[in-house]
Amino acid sequence: MMKQLSVFIENEIGSLAGVTNILKENRINLRAIASFDTPEFAILRIVVDQPEKAHKSLKEKGYVVKMSEAVAVELQDQPGALDGMLQVIAASGLGINYIYSIVIRDGKVPLMIINTDHLDKTAAVLKANGYIVAEQEDI
Amino acid sequence: MIWNETKECMSRDEIYNLQSARLKKMVKRVYHNVEFYRKKMQALGLEPGDINGLEDLHKLPFTTKQDLRDNYPFGLFAVPQSEIVRVHASSGTTGKATVVGYTRRDIEIWQECVARVLSMAGIGPLDKIQVAYGYGLFTGGLGIHYGAENLGATVIPMSTGNTQKLVTLMQDFGVTAIACTPSYLLHIAETLEEAGQIDNTKLKVAVCGAEPWTENMRKQIEAKLHVKAFDIYGLSEIMGPGVAADCEFHKGLHVYEDHFIPEIIHPDTLKPCKEGEVGELVFTPVTKEALPLFRYRTRDLTSITYDKCECGRTLARISRFKGRSDDMLIIRGVNVFPSQVEAALLEMGETSPHYLMIVDRVNNLDVLEVQVEVEERFFSDEIRQLESLTKKISHVLHTALGISVKVKLVAPRTIERSQGKAKRVIDRRIIE
Repeated sequence: MMKQLSVFIENEIGSLAGVTNILKENRINLRAIASFDTPEFAILRIVVDQPEKAHKSLKEKGYVVKMSEAVAVELQDQPGALDGMLQVIAASGLGINYIYSIVIRDGKVPLMIINTDHLDKTAAVLKANGYIVAEQEDI
Repeated sequence: MIWNETKECMSRDEIYNLQSARLKKMVKRVYHNVEFYRKKMQALGLEPGDINGLEDLHKLPFTTKQDLRDNYPFGLFAVPQSEIVRVHASSGTTGKATVVGYTRRDIEIWQECVARVLSMAGIGPLDKIQVAYGYGLFTGGLGIHYGAENLGATVIPMSTGNTQKLVTLMQDFGVTAIACTPSYLLHIAETLEEAGQIDNTKLKVAVCGAEPWTENMRKQIEAKLHVKAFDIYGLSEIMGPGVAADCEFHKGLHVYEDHFIPEIIHPDTLKPCKEGEVGELVFTPVTKEALPLFRYRTRDLTSITYDKCECGRTLARISRFKGRSDDMLIIRGVNVFPSQVEAALLEMGETSPHYLMIVDRVNNLDVLEVQVEVEERFFSDEIRQLESLTKKISHVLHTALGISVKVKLVAPRTIERSQGKAKRVIDRRIIE
């Protein structure tokens, strides 16, 4: 499983920079970032090298942050790779809440970060179908 | 036209004597029929015989909205229920409404006062008037309705909500007068403008009230709709619309002093203000049978003058309202207290209790946005959960306040915390 942080931010100028600045100040390295916005607010989801430290420092600055887990799967760089993965998940009756990716991994293949209501089952299904599920220390 | 010249143009001495006589009778009636006031008077060592005229009014205790709530629903009524022919109610802070009652005579006096207002605005039996205040527990709709019937005008009971139909009937029926809130009238004007029909109505008079408005807004209404616009004031605790209104000179609102004795007091010291000095308006409705209140504190800030008006009326005039001595807001004609928002949020228990109300006027309609801080324990990292929380808060507030509310979730600690009294309201509507 991969640890991710979800941060509540208001949909306004500088709100993302507010978060990244705190990460920089604490020398935390971002691995993936995705923002899901509504007209009023957004949820920023990040994967970092030191999730606990990032969680603590954001909270100290008054952010509402939630640390949760998601499944991280290796994705081969070829046409239809993502489709194959999504077909497997759908065929198991699992619904995806959201999905985003980690691309920069020191030459390694990209990872897809997937959230469903049943993370263990998702990981198991993917493994059973030959996908490589990454852990926290793999990034 | 002056509807009741005998009463509206009395000499100040005559007014004083009439008020004194009516006050004396009222105090006796109240002392013998309302336990709440009897106890209050006894605690002050007062007997009905101590009140011999207007000069003794200051000896009587004040009444507040809280007193009405404490005696919910009928505890302050001074007549048996068989004599009550109608009740009205307004929304209350804790879900408890403020209930007011009327005898047949009270309703007659109300009709008389509203007829005076409409007549002062130039409305008569030849006019067709659309009443576009809410009909129901709110006093606005029915109050104007019966007054306009009493005057002999043709009443079209529109109520609120269907602007398109109102505009259609206005043209089809050749409506000449309208009574509604000023902001709603501007909205109606816009609807007419959009349809290219603004110059195709027979409208000549508008009587507006139930919310604060400015002299500029009055002029704007007059210019847009080619009408004469008048200000009407009232509150359900005293009667409803028709307690006071302005004449064609627009130099303050004439108070129907033969029924409502006005006082202006310092809201802090409760001492009387000098003539012309701004303070809180207090009313004693001396002829009220069902709900005769002593010195009811309206919380509305204004000043008073007793000079004779150019229109010939000798009644005291109160100036345009300068605000409130409490935190009540009037949004789309509905009375809203910030404490209602707080109570609703706390009861719901799924947000932090920190909120900010932002009142604005968009396209001439009041809108209320309530910002609520997201709290760690209620934070879901799924957008749909946060959106359903937003919807739920919005629904809870709508139920509590009686008006629709736009809810905005904001980050924690973004709502200003101040020492002492928290700033809970930003009112962006321009009110002079």
